[in-house]
Amino acid sequence: MNFLLTLEYAQLALYEEAISADVLRGELRRFAGVARSHEAEHVKALRALLGADAEEKPTFRFTDATRTVARFNRSALTLEETAAAAYIGQAPNLTRDRVPRVAGIVAVEARHAAWIRAIVGRNPAPRAADPATTARQVARTLERNGFVKPS
Amino acid sequence: MRDDDDCSDDHELTLEELDRDGALLEGIAGVYGNSRADLLRGAAVGGAALLVGLADPPLARAAAKTDVNILNFDLVFEYLQSSFYVGAVRDGTVAQMGPEKQRWARVLGRHELAHVAILKQVLGKGAVGKPFFNFRGVTENEAAFTRTAVAMEDLTVALLAGQAGRFKDRNLTAAVFSLLTTEARHAAWARRLAGFQPVARAVDEPKTLNEVGRVVQSTRFIAARRPRTGRRGKPRYTG
Repeated sequence: MNFLLTLEYAQLALYEEAISADVLRGELRRFAGVARSHEAEHVKALRALLGADAEEKPTFRFTDATRTVARFNRSALTLEETAAAAYIGQAPNLTRDRVPRVAGIVAVEARHAAWIRAIVGRNPAPRAADPATTARQVARTLERNGFVKPS
Repeated sequence: MRDDDDCSDDHELTLEELDRDGALLEGIAGVYGNSRADLLRGAAVGGAALLVGLADPPLARAAAKTDVNILNFDLVFEYLQSSFYVGAVRDGTVAQMGPEKQRWARVLGRHELAHVAILKQVLGKGAVGKPFFNFRGVTENEAAFTRTAVAMEDLTVALLAGQAGRFKDRNLTAAVFSLLTTEARHAAWARRLAGFQPVARAVDEPKTLNEVGRVVQSTRFIAARRPRTGRRGKPRYTG
């Protein structure tokens, strides 16, 4: 669960940084604002589920990712898709009572992914069934994109 | 990340389309074990042959009754959705819409048919048959069709979110999550095209089977028998 929380922290940080960099306009700006408030809610929800085990927010390095619209689009799309797939991958590990809440969160990540894809002119729903990823794959994606330092 | 905007309408459904990133095979591995998934992975990718390979799944024999009941409820819902989009194509409504909306309606129709195929394969002989539907003119009118699609997609998200945690077999939770995220994409896409905020809240609200059942009942889309006013001469679309 803590790595899902890391992903939520990463998304929140990306949107906060992009909004304060003030490069987004129109629907994209609306998207970033809406997504930011949702990711903040997800952080709160996951922290509540994790209780004392919840990890603190790591430091992210987006640098270029929030400087231009094109890079922001790519980063937002990557993070949203990664988050949706990561939640699917963790589904069998969730305790039964946590599933409905987490299902409500993963659905919102998928909606974000579809929205950003639509904005950049890509098919919002490219597959009939979405893929799952493992925690290790998620860590690799974050490192490959330079969002976190390799551990 | 790939961009697969293949939207042709009348071709045969292949496993490649169902399972571009191996999500289905992963689900199969979860439900049937890795050996079966490997066997299927190595099979010729032609869809039909592969789906035949999935027939007679152990789920129908061994699964908990509640799991089968939940999956069958989901199946009825997927029948409803696929018939709805296919109906709108058949009625000529989709052909009259703008290019982006046409693409949307056709992609959704294809996905819902794929979901029917997936659930039928998983349920095997335990799968319920397709009911008759009567959309009461909704598929013949673009505005009504779009509004109903938005409501239907949002309702599917609430249904799957509410049911995902109830399975005895935890792998089914993951399988339903990957359908849930697809339905959530459909819902966001539909909402954007209809001029609504694509993501209305921070967390989607799960609904119980009873709540969803009541909504479906209120639409009277599920008919007791084949509708007289429909195009009875045309073959029914089966998923």
